[in-house]
Amino acid sequence: MQRRSAIKNLALTIGGTIVLPAWANAWSKESIQSGAFKITYAQETLLAEIVETIIPKTDTPGAKELGADKFILKMVADCYDKKSQDIFAKGMVSVDELSKKENGKTFVESDAKQKLEVLKKMSTSPNSDEKGFVQLVKGLTIDGYLVSEYVMTNLRIFEMVPGRYHGCVPIKK
Amino acid sequence: MSNLNIDAIKNQTYDAIVIGSGISGGWAAKELTGKGLRTLVLERGRDVKHVIDYPTTLMQPWEFEHHNRIKKEVKDANPIVSKCYAFYEGTEQFFVKDAEHPYIQEKPFDWIRGYQTGGKSLLWARQTQRWSEYDFQGPARDGFAVDWPIRYADIAPWYSYVEKFAGISGNKDNVASLPDGEFLAPHELNCVEKYFKEQVAKNYKDRHIITGRCAHLTSPKQVHYDQGRAQCQSRTICERGCPYGGYFSSNSSTLPWAAKTGKLTLRPHSVVHSIIYDEKKGKATGVRVIDATTNQMMEFYARIIFVNAAALNSNLILLNSTSHRFPNGLGNDSGVLGKYIAFHNYTATINADYEGFLDSTTDGRKPNSAYVPRFRNVEKQETDFLRGYAAGFSAGRYQHDDRSGLGEDLKKALLKPEYNNVWSVGSHMMGETIPKESNYVALDKSKVDPWGIPQLKISVEYDDNDRKMVKDFFEQFTEMYTKAGFKNIRTNDSNRTPGLDIHEMGGARMGKDPKTSVLNKWNAIHSCKNVFVTDGASMTSTSTQNPSLTYMAMTARSVDYAVKEMRKGTL
Repeated sequence: MQRRSAIKNLALTIGGTIVLPAWANAWSKESIQSGAFKITYAQETLLAEIVETIIPKTDTPGAKELGADKFILKMVADCYDKKSQDIFAKGMVSVDELSKKENGKTFVESDAKQKLEVLKKMSTSPNSDEKGFVQLVKGLTIDGYLVSEYVMTNLRIFEMVPGRYHGCVPIKK
Repeated sequence: MSNLNIDAIKNQTYDAIVIGSGISGGWAAKELTGKGLRTLVLERGRDVKHVIDYPTTLMQPWEFEHHNRIKKEVKDANPIVSKCYAFYEGTEQFFVKDAEHPYIQEKPFDWIRGYQTGGKSLLWARQTQRWSEYDFQGPARDGFAVDWPIRYADIAPWYSYVEKFAGISGNKDNVASLPDGEFLAPHELNCVEKYFKEQVAKNYKDRHIITGRCAHLTSPKQVHYDQGRAQCQSRTICERGCPYGGYFSSNSSTLPWAAKTGKLTLRPHSVVHSIIYDEKKGKATGVRVIDATTNQMMEFYARIIFVNAAALNSNLILLNSTSHRFPNGLGNDSGVLGKYIAFHNYTATINADYEGFLDSTTDGRKPNSAYVPRFRNVEKQETDFLRGYAAGFSAGRYQHDDRSGLGEDLKKALLKPEYNNVWSVGSHMMGETIPKESNYVALDKSKVDPWGIPQLKISVEYDDNDRKMVKDFFEQFTEMYTKAGFKNIRTNDSNRTPGLDIHEMGGARMGKDPKTSVLNKWNAIHSCKNVFVTDGASMTSTSTQNPSLTYMAMTARSVDYAVKEMRKGTL
């Protein structure tokens, strides 16, 4: 256990060297555009800011640095139906509209607090598409974050090869 | 020219042919080559070599593009296989896609298949419980199907034989309806599984909770190291293929063992069309194969043929093997070929919470669960339904994280998962179904598959006996859970269609009387004695226990008989 936390601390200190999986490194706009689902460069930047707002950088990396935005695009393009893709596309427009209405500037131009408020507002919106957008993007951001190499090897350790099973051990406080 | 033909026939002649390389075909190959027979194994799918062809086995969770979810276009194109619990991004390469081998669902049936070297032995759930005397006596006692031509004593030594080689983990529990075997170290029951075992023992004299018996090398022996296999590492991602050979598959065990003899020829991409019957000799002489890469029809010859294509495909091959002597399929004088298909009913689950042992959890992972041997109608008929059910049981101490926030609050919560304030417990029923004439497979008269072979028409459904059994399972487990102090009990009947249990059996059943069965007590066709069927197709009834171990034992027993008969000159 001591060794593990030592490694963990080391990783935290070194930081900076986030390695994205091969699929995310090789990621390109072409590879994620399927059928009717298209995304513009401006929207890519917007999505990166949205995921960073949902899980921001603190003393550890945030969702943007860990590639959660790329993961979301991949998932929405490949695994979701037209209805969800439409909610996603519409939501990307709504975020900016709401941001301009509330703060007089685009989402990307807003400060961190304003961004958070926009997403909070959308998440409780009476408009089911707006609410659905935050639900979809938040769920996928969490998935992309928790199942990133950084989190799984430094913060919530995943053991690929446990090599053991003990049926009854005390919970460590 | 004629010399050339003779040479060609010689090159295509073996001592034995095995159709299929899955769990039973692999055993046939190992036993036949081990007895010195030059053996041709025909596999309809591609070759999958142990470790080398497990592309996802070492992949970390983050390396999967879709975090193990199936792409929508794959799901849309494959509504059948997408329903299988084991079909995900990391395993899709081992499953047959719907369009690859079409069939007709006269009644809804999800036919799950694995066409590659090793077949479904790569993908199976690895539970290996012996069948008991109660199972082999079942049809005769309860008056359904036909009497099994064998009893537990006939197969018991063969269970021991295959268990020692395959490596079966388990505990000697001394339960009459679930005979003990040759076991490696058992998996540990966890706190709540152990607690439930004690509660059930206290409240019922004939009900037991034991640790499942499974094909994992928990404490490997020399014979397993000799196969190139090593101790199970508790990764619990078995269906991606195991780089350690920690669980038993044809790929990790029987096939490489057979290859070492120098007597094995494994031919992938070989779709068997039919078995060749020689009217003059009064026996089978070989098989017709369509090479899936060239679409060419070829013939291979041998003195004995083992049919191990998986239950329904073995039926298909026999039904398609027509001749003047057998116009309705090889060995089908009785007309029962393709009929009396049965399976296991897995529709019912029951979950609950337990508020004890809250200072405890588990550590590591277990590729196994607890097991509840059948306790209904064992010694005598006592309910309004025939036969009974076994059940899986497991308890887990899960964690949750609060996902309600956004921003730094959310991040903090995600990095501080908390233990639930209960243990979650769950059980699933594994019900014996009664083989009936009305549950059948047959060849369709008009539709053919991509190789020009008639499509299989499947007509299988549940009946009242199955529904009564589900009701009883819910009642009995609700009572057992309540007595153990479990709370928040939830029953669920998924109503899923037959097939997803992947335990289809029968169609070419064994029996004493050629008028009502296809195979004799050695798994040989009554009327064509050099053809043996030793996979699920041969099962007269289904028991409640997972069937693969029984296929392995039947196969080894049958090969032993076949080779002895060959050497006596009777085959």
